Amino acid sequence: MKTAVVLITAIVAQAFGDVCLTKGMKAIAGLETSGAGLSELLSQVSHIGLQAMQSPMVWVGTLLLIVFFVLFSAALSWADLSFVLPATAFGYVLNVAAGNYFLGESVSNRRWAGALIITLGVLFVSRSGERTSETPRDEVAPGVLE
Amino acid sequence: MMTALLIGLVVLGGSAGDVFITKGMKQVGEISTLNARRLVGIFGRAITNRYVLTGVLFMAVSYFSFLGALRLADLSLVLPATSVSFVITTIGARLFLKETISAMRWAGILLVCIGVALISIPSQP
Repeated sequence: MKTAVVLITAIVAQAFGDVCLTKGMKAIAGLETSGAGLSELLSQVSHIGLQAMQSPMVWVGTLLLIVFFVLFSAALSWADLSFVLPATAFGYVLNVAAGNYFLGESVSNRRWAGALIITLGVLFVSRSGERTSETPRDEVAPGVLE
Repeated sequence: MMTALLIGLVVLGGSAGDVFITKGMKQVGEISTLNARRLVGIFGRAITNRYVLTGVLFMAVSYFSFLGALRLADLSLVLPATSVSFVITTIGARLFLKETISAMRWAGILLVCIGVALISIPSQP
């Protein structure tokens, strides 16, 4: 239950974080790489970086991705990596749906099929139990567990 | 050749990063409190854990290799190629974290891997 709540929150934070980042970054002019030298590219990248730091959307997106990473790591403190990692792949499905809904991105049949296959895979993984490795319980600091 | 090397670094760096972070977080111990002061303490222990820090370093290597690979090859090649990392990370979890991967879990992971590859190949070539 705890795992489900933490991972679902993480996945939703990641999907919205990606949407915010995309919205913020799309409002900034893209890289002009053709025929540009290294110094020209570097100055373009730093210019984009400065603009990105002034975009509230980019900040919100970055914050949400930090939330994702903290929750992801928290789940790893008790659940298997081989459970948590594929489970968070459901984020790809949310990303496809959110990109379609919030950003108006067109989604091909192949990508919807991919989303379906991921969903199926996550269902399989979620049926496999969240923990198989043993913890050296004596290594856990007393008072952490309630 | 350089592209293959960089994609290899993206995948191996990401997988090694995940394995190290898991190892570190297991040492930090199961988080089962919502008490703010305790959470801050746990957070402090996590970000000073040697394994967690090593994991973050590997992730940085993976990320910069990803950026480097994008300079040489299209996202349409790089992104699907990185879906292999689900399998590589699982092998790492089995070898180094002693996790047991049941047939059910392997099936799920392979489906996720295929689905991610399908999603990340762009529609218009």
